[in-house]
Amino acid sequence: MTLPTPLPLWPLLWRLICYTPKLALVDAGLWLLISGVFPAIPGLIIQGYFDALTETAPLALSPLAFLGLLVATSVGEIVALFAGQWVRTQYRFNLRSLLRHNLLDQLLQQPGAQPLSIAEGPQRQTISPGEAISYFREDPELIEQTIVKTADLIGYGLFALGAIGLLLRLNPQITLMVFLPLAVISAAVQQAQQKIKQYRRASRRATQAVTGFLGEIFTAVQVLKATGTETAVLNHLNHLNGQRQQQMVKDRLLITVLNSGFENLTNLGIGFILLLMATGRTSATSGLSVGDFALFIYYLALVATAFRAFGQYLTWLKQTEVSFERLRALHRPDSLTEHRSSPAAAAFALVAHQPLYLAGLWGRQPPLPPLQPPHPEAPSHFKELAVVGLSYHYPHASRGIEAISFSLRRGSLTVITGPVGSGKTTLLRVLLGLLPRQTGTIYWNGQPVEHPATFFCPPRSAYTPQVPHLFSDTLRNNLLLELEKSDAALGEALRLSVFAQDVGAMPMGLATLVGTRGVRLSGGQRQRAAAARMLVRQPELLIFDDLSSALDVETEQSLWEGLFATGQATAAGRPTCLITSNRPDVLRRADRIIVLNEGRIEAMGRFDELPSLS
Amino acid sequence: MRLAFRQFTSNPYTRLLGRYLKSQRLRVVGLALTLFFSIALQLINPQVLRYFIDTALNPEPGASLPQAALLFISIALITQGLTLMSTYLGETVAWQATNALRTDLAAHCLHLDLSFHQSRTPGELVERVDGDVTTLARFFAQFTLYILGNSLLLLGILAVLWLEDWRAGLSLTLFVLFAFGGLTRLLRFALPVWVAYRQLSARFFGFLSEYLAGREDLQANGSNGYVMHRFYQMLQQWLPIFHRARWAQTVLWSSSVALLTTGNIIALSVGAYLWSQQAITIGTVYLIFYYTNQLRQPMASILSELSDFQQAQASILRVQELLTTPSRLPPAGDRPLPSDALGVTFDHVGFSYDADPPHDWALQDVSWCLPAGQVLGVVGRTGSGKTTLTRLLLRFYAPQAGTISLGQVPLETVSPAGLRQRVGIVTQDVQLFQASVRDNLTLFDPAIEDGQIQHALEALGLLDWLRSHPQGLDTLLAADSGGLSAGEAQLLAFARIWLRNPSLVILDEASSRLDLLTERRVEQATQQLMQGRTGIIIAHRLSTLQHVDYILVLEQGKVVEYGPRQDLANQSTSRFARLLQRSQTVPPAL
Repeated sequence: MTLPTPLPLWPLLWRLICYTPKLALVDAGLWLLISGVFPAIPGLIIQGYFDALTETAPLALSPLAFLGLLVATSVGEIVALFAGQWVRTQYRFNLRSLLRHNLLDQLLQQPGAQPLSIAEGPQRQTISPGEAISYFREDPELIEQTIVKTADLIGYGLFALGAIGLLLRLNPQITLMVFLPLAVISAAVQQAQQKIKQYRRASRRATQAVTGFLGEIFTAVQVLKATGTETAVLNHLNHLNGQRQQQMVKDRLLITVLNSGFENLTNLGIGFILLLMATGRTSATSGLSVGDFALFIYYLALVATAFRAFGQYLTWLKQTEVSFERLRALHRPDSLTEHRSSPAAAAFALVAHQPLYLAGLWGRQPPLPPLQPPHPEAPSHFKELAVVGLSYHYPHASRGIEAISFSLRRGSLTVITGPVGSGKTTLLRVLLGLLPRQTGTIYWNGQPVEHPATFFCPPRSAYTPQVPHLFSDTLRNNLLLELEKSDAALGEALRLSVFAQDVGAMPMGLATLVGTRGVRLSGGQRQRAAAARMLVRQPELLIFDDLSSALDVETEQSLWEGLFATGQATAAGRPTCLITSNRPDVLRRADRIIVLNEGRIEAMGRFDELPSLS
Repeated sequence: MRLAFRQFTSNPYTRLLGRYLKSQRLRVVGLALTLFFSIALQLINPQVLRYFIDTALNPEPGASLPQAALLFISIALITQGLTLMSTYLGETVAWQATNALRTDLAAHCLHLDLSFHQSRTPGELVERVDGDVTTLARFFAQFTLYILGNSLLLLGILAVLWLEDWRAGLSLTLFVLFAFGGLTRLLRFALPVWVAYRQLSARFFGFLSEYLAGREDLQANGSNGYVMHRFYQMLQQWLPIFHRARWAQTVLWSSSVALLTTGNIIALSVGAYLWSQQAITIGTVYLIFYYTNQLRQPMASILSELSDFQQAQASILRVQELLTTPSRLPPAGDRPLPSDALGVTFDHVGFSYDADPPHDWALQDVSWCLPAGQVLGVVGRTGSGKTTLTRLLLRFYAPQAGTISLGQVPLETVSPAGLRQRVGIVTQDVQLFQASVRDNLTLFDPAIEDGQIQHALEALGLLDWLRSHPQGLDTLLAADSGGLSAGEAQLLAFARIWLRNPSLVILDEASSRLDLLTERRVEQATQQLMQGRTGIIIAHRLSTLQHVDYILVLEQGKVVEYGPRQDLANQSTSRFARLLQRSQTVPPAL
């Protein structure tokens, strides 16, 4: 699939509209009034006023009565405006939040260790979390805008039809001239369509490059400061800024040509009418009253606005299509939980109806559902994990793992070892579904595991990555992530991860704010916090990726001793561990060592059975 | 109107405008001319229409109706051209100015000390450097010019009305003054709501980027549900504020509808009255009405500018706040460092991350002195203050007590640029950019040549790794170190340091992720790198410290032992000797 398949734009928009059908309906009704009916009335009132002044009116109302009507209309309009905006705010928020929800949900379902990426033709291009922000920020708001403006557009359309009908009665020839610009506009937008989309894509991409790079700068502040490369990095930022400027100006210019074109084409239309009248080919003009004339000019200006809105709407539609394409490109076809293979299905997943737990218009806030563990039902009692022929290769690189087979039993300690780049971390990630396996099968108690990403979670297993991520929150929240556990259970996890003493020494204890990415903790503390986060979930299978890298020898030894001592004391027996390490004392403890080299298993056995290790 | 202007000039906004528009004076003048010209056309246009209508309704001999129609058409065409020109100029001015502001903000943030960055997520900062600045674009390009131009148009229309009839002129002038007075007051009431709104959206995007970066941890620990839960909570907080912000907008909008109707009523009543007094003709009644309607456009423009400005104001305040956030570091000096290898002295240094009042000391009364050209190994349990030591040396933080000197020069008197050029550090966290291998190594410094990079990679045994990538130095590395093993990433960080050729090299648990084979390779490279340089190596594997000259043992922020390695190792009662003994009970190598 090299060409992006066209998106079913209308069904997508319709699906979104149907998310809050009542809001959509009320919103549409109110905005039909605001943009279609209220603007039309003053024109008629003014016509009546002038005709009453010159006493050519069919109705015998005094001019002052018309002024009263004007006030009444205005009051009505303001009331409608307040109601309309109120409903629309709610409607808009629902729309953008639903899109953001589905996007976030989709990204969280992707293999967690695979960097976020977008489809570019047959290839995928990685993006940083900072870049991903631009997908959450502008695109949903643009889509939302297009949807809510549909009601306005219909209002304008109704108004334009009514106005043209009225004007036709006054003077058919002149009125018909008004249609000319409309035809020109539609042709122009159709012509410009490709360009609108192309410019929009380019400018969005340039924006994303800037936000992505900014995100990286602020993530790497320490490195940049330490190396004193701030200036060079800022120069690069300037370069990206310049590219963005170029694309944005182009994008804006095109849109302006079209928009102001709509307005000015109508003026040109009026000009042609005047020319027509001037050359005297229509005699009908002499029959116009001052009131008719006022109405004519008043409506023409509004019809011009309506045309402009129409043109702008067409542009928005094109841009919305680009936004949907962009959001769809974030989707991975190999997303592990569901095999949504068709691109259309991927787009529809973006507009799927999901509860958002927002307060309604009358302020009733539904309670959030209690946080459910991923597998609330009691897990199968773990006996054995087996892996057969597991392979994964990184795109554009020869690295990866190849045909890995091994098994481990309950209560055993399995250590994966090998040189840098031999695939230790990759193996753990593929097993856990954090990277999509390309071949191979995983068996849990003899049953094949279909979706490792959702299967390998507490209470079955938990994982401490090599570089754990903590979030800017309190230590307690970082450990529990809103899991409900007693303080005793938490204390036990802290003790086992040899972290209790450190926490005790912190003046705020578990309420300590750990800072962005946990920077307020030392490297070793972060790793033990992550270990505690894993242990408090009491999984049957513990998976550590290189726990020792940030721990000193003493701390690590007490950690292992603690872990295995508990196992002997409880009924559950020794915990089952799968870890990567190169430390001799860890290797000596292992029931089985798997030696990896260049992605393949080189040897397997106990420490004393593997002469290559000593 | 005057209120609006006072509000505008009394603020730091003018300074912001002046600062970022000065460099593009010509473009701004061009933009002003274009805008004023199109405003003039707007005043002429109705005159043409009126002339046409008067003549068409009461045909006079010799009237040039076709010319009038053609004039109308050409004005429409010229307006189109002017719109394009003003868009081009306006957008360019805006982007130039906002880009300069973005860079300045990014530079300022980079300049701030680490305590600033510890309390803010990268996503939040992106929102403040990019999101807030983007809303300022209109402010830079058009705000002043539009306000000025439309005020001129407004005055022009009022002048014409005064000329038609003084009573019409007077009543509509009063109306305009009253209208603006009320509306600007409304604007001010809406400001805090928008500030709150933008604050919350910055937090939301900060939350997103942080949790998206931690997907691996969340997924494997079954905590995706937790992220969604936080997302819902955030939405629940956001909605009422969104409602309030939009409500403020509605109040403004409906007031302008009410005012417009009031204007029309005034015009039509005055017209009816004067008509009944037979003071004016029906044509003039229409003209008064027409011009009153003409008032709508400049008033709406000024209002929408002010309302955009109101939103921009929230952003301006936040930008200003960020720009004026002071660094917690005391001002730096400008003394150069001696050009040869640097000795390091810690003299009764005390430091706490909680600045006022300092408590919970991370380092306490730390004193030691490392002669130039020697290598120091730092030993201690995690959390003993080893990393804090390096952070102070790089002046990410300033100690609250004591002095640190490099080559006899107190750190606080050294120029920051000079310091960072001469001190290199490799930490265990390696940050990679989504950029080419080259840019990742040079950190976007174009002065470093490919030859130097090749040399550094060769010294670290990374040439084979590079050759396995067909695009060589142009190979794109992914964000989140995707596709690189942690060990490889760390070797790349070594290469970064190698390229910068510092006089003092700090390795902070830098070899922790390497297997023994690779570590040995790095060790050889390290020894080469350390030649003629002073070095500080923080390690938890004592084997890494076999070749160091001095040893510092830290415990809970205090110095337990300090001395030449050999002396401490020979002294069987020393803590270091005991540690050595302990580590020898396990085989020294794989």
